[in-house]
Amino acid sequence: MTTYSILIIAPLLFAFSVLFGGLRVRNVLTVVFVLFLAGVSLTNIFLVSSSTQILFSPLLHYLFILLDSIVLIYFLWQGVIKKHNLVTFFALLQMMLYAAVVFFSSSITSSDILIDEISSTMYLVINIVGGIIIVYALGYIESEKFSRFKKNGFIALLFFFLSIMNFIVSTNNIEIFFLLFELTTLCSYILIAYHGDEVSSENALKALWINQIGGVAILIALIVSITQYDTVYFDMLINNINELYLLPIVFLTIAAFVKGASIPFDKWLLGAMVAPTPVSAMLHSATMVKIAPYLMLKLAPAMSGFVSLSITLIGTFVFFSASLLALSKDYFKEILGLSTIALLALMMALAAIGTKEATTACLVLIVFHAISKALLFLQAAILEKSFNLKYVNDINGLINHSPFVVLFIVVGFASLTLPPFGAFVAKFMAIESIANEIGNNPLYVLALIFIALGSVFLTLLYFKVLTKLLAKDVSQEKEIHVDIPKLFTVPSFALLALLVMGVYVLYEKEFLTTAQVFVPVVLIAVVPLLFATLLFKKAHRVKEYHCGEKEEPQLNMYYFEIARSYKMAITVVATVLILVLILGAML
Amino acid sequence: MIEVILIIVAPIIGGLIYGLERVVRARMQRRQGPPILQPFYDMLKLIDKQALIVNPYHSILGIMHFVTLWVVVAFVVLGQNLLYIIFLHLLSAIFLIIAGFSAKSIYSHIGANRELQAMIAYEPILIMTAVGFYMINGSFDISVIRNNTSEIAGLFLIFLAFLMIIPIKLKKSPFDATEAHQEIVGGVEIEYSGIFFEFLYMAKWLEYVFIYLLLMLFAGDSLILGAVLSVTVFLLVNLVDNSTARIKMKHLIKIVLGIGLSLSMINLIGLSYV
Repeated sequence: MTTYSILIIAPLLFAFSVLFGGLRVRNVLTVVFVLFLAGVSLTNIFLVSSSTQILFSPLLHYLFILLDSIVLIYFLWQGVIKKHNLVTFFALLQMMLYAAVVFFSSSITSSDILIDEISSTMYLVINIVGGIIIVYALGYIESEKFSRFKKNGFIALLFFFLSIMNFIVSTNNIEIFFLLFELTTLCSYILIAYHGDEVSSENALKALWINQIGGVAILIALIVSITQYDTVYFDMLINNINELYLLPIVFLTIAAFVKGASIPFDKWLLGAMVAPTPVSAMLHSATMVKIAPYLMLKLAPAMSGFVSLSITLIGTFVFFSASLLALSKDYFKEILGLSTIALLALMMALAAIGTKEATTACLVLIVFHAISKALLFLQAAILEKSFNLKYVNDINGLINHSPFVVLFIVVGFASLTLPPFGAFVAKFMAIESIANEIGNNPLYVLALIFIALGSVFLTLLYFKVLTKLLAKDVSQEKEIHVDIPKLFTVPSFALLALLVMGVYVLYEKEFLTTAQVFVPVVLIAVVPLLFATLLFKKAHRVKEYHCGEKEEPQLNMYYFEIARSYKMAITVVATVLILVLILGAML
Repeated sequence: MIEVILIIVAPIIGGLIYGLERVVRARMQRRQGPPILQPFYDMLKLIDKQALIVNPYHSILGIMHFVTLWVVVAFVVLGQNLLYIIFLHLLSAIFLIIAGFSAKSIYSHIGANRELQAMIAYEPILIMTAVGFYMINGSFDISVIRNNTSEIAGLFLIFLAFLMIIPIKLKKSPFDATEAHQEIVGGVEIEYSGIFFEFLYMAKWLEYVFIYLLLMLFAGDSLILGAVLSVTVFLLVNLVDNSTARIKMKHLIKIVLGIGLSLSMINLIGLSYV
């Protein structure tokens, strides 16, 4: 049995086995399963992959077609009963296109499974980070008011999601890719609507119809690919690509933009926040949105000139705009969501550049972003469950109550901006590879400016949040002592350990020199130590200077209000850029 | 060896530049001005003062700001990667900003907020400058940049953009809204006193060293050109400081980003055709 098949089939079995049984049994089983998956994905990198052709039997192909039809019928049914015209429309459109694909389908076959370096890295992200998220979902879901079966079902769905993700990064067949793409849409639809209230179901439907656009794009790409290149396989399409006819690639990248919640398709990811927090964590870090950069990386060898340039420009533009938009937000999860959109766009831009360096930067960013976001969403869950906090402005002086949560949030944000963490390395390499491209085409200067501005905005955003956490009062009225469940703290430490290991790998692979790694690590690590030890007992404590005002000032977090016209302009520019991309590829 | 000495005495050099600057500025206003060693006398006086703190985190972060900045200067002297240094410099700025927000003081908050906004203005230009050097030298390493001949002609527009951010970093008019003298009573600095203020004071000196070291990169391997550049820019910055009024933060961002980014963009496009 090969590792990929274990990674695909095992989570499916796990999903069934956690469905029944009591709390304790389920928790123990889940932890064991997660450890198992992490182990398998780790051993996978050390195995020498044999490049044998793996063909699924025709029976399996029929099964996939059947599954696909069921999923599409389900979407249609949801659209009809929820009276949502867009969902119905896209479901019908997909049915028609899919019928055409099945009808025309090419007879030439290639390998259905193709595992490369990118897939192996994705396995690590999906199974280890995703696994940790499932562990803390165990704690989270217990505090929700669901029936036992629904709670277990939640965990089962998450396992199911891992299975689909493992499959999607292994397949080489675009038809199967389409099926799995639709299954992730289905999963996210069910998960977002999990609370069962009106807002949830509305946002779930929004996620559904927007993601269906991605499905439509893949189907169009498939039809064009079959008629022009007579293939439904990624490798054949990419190897035989004709530079004058890049339409299938362009449509596949649009599917990536949709999954990656790139502007103008960003509404679904922000709407997804109504779901239980582990769902956001899952969608943002280990699964769903990561399909976007993965697909981009896969297609990168086939991109050239115009297509590569415009995707880079779209990506960097979205990076810049999403960071800018995030500055006006106060809801903690929304801030995290917009920064996900920004960083995903950066990943896609990097993948589209396609040089060795840019591709590495993209992979580094995928891994580190997953870890950091999982850590941050976990803290969001703790804030929500243990402290009843959702808005950044309310988390005043959290350091007085829970220094560890603050530490994790600080590390989470620092890992997205500062040296020596991976996101920094990726940004560093991004600037370098774009600087190299400027020599070929001066238009890349725009991409550079977007990155320079976007990264400053993101830094601003993260530290705007941090400023609220550290505000310590001189006179501490009351200590709020809150116990944070073990199922939350242990995963936090596990993710922290992953970050440290990640930095070590970067050092080992010589992305950074010794001084470049250790100096900032010491500088950052010394701060909490000093906080704990240096108390300046001898120094006199004074009240702050208020110019003689008697009333205590009320300090709030600052906002950067962004005019509505700017928001409109951003959406319009992003849409126009995508249209230009399609038109440019057609001509 | 010479590098190590240079790193150790960096704050003293910064202090001397600061002292000299006060003299030059005074002479421009036809005043006598303080002695050049005045900053050091200030330091001696501050040690004697009673230490007053608002909270320990605030004080520690102030010290970390100074330490990080010193490390940044050390990295520049040792000829490390320029882009990396810019991001490390960001860390030092962030320590100061978090410190400003950790005190429950209005002025401290306003100051920290302005410090953040100033970052929007200078950070992209620093990155563009680094990219400019990269396109000419094929490397971000300062040691490589220093060994090549001066490229100030090829990077002239970027050099102009870089000139624009010097007043922001050195808190000089017209771009000194971050500190703004009496207007916001020193901004971030307000809650520091005694020995803790010394660290902030020295950090200011290090900022001088950092900026002038970056400026010298435009001179490449020519020490004479480097000296000429530094003296000219030193006089120019003080002249401008004496002759202009402070502008608002939002205008600062618009002017610096608008002009600075356009200049560096044109320069980079020009370089791509060479």
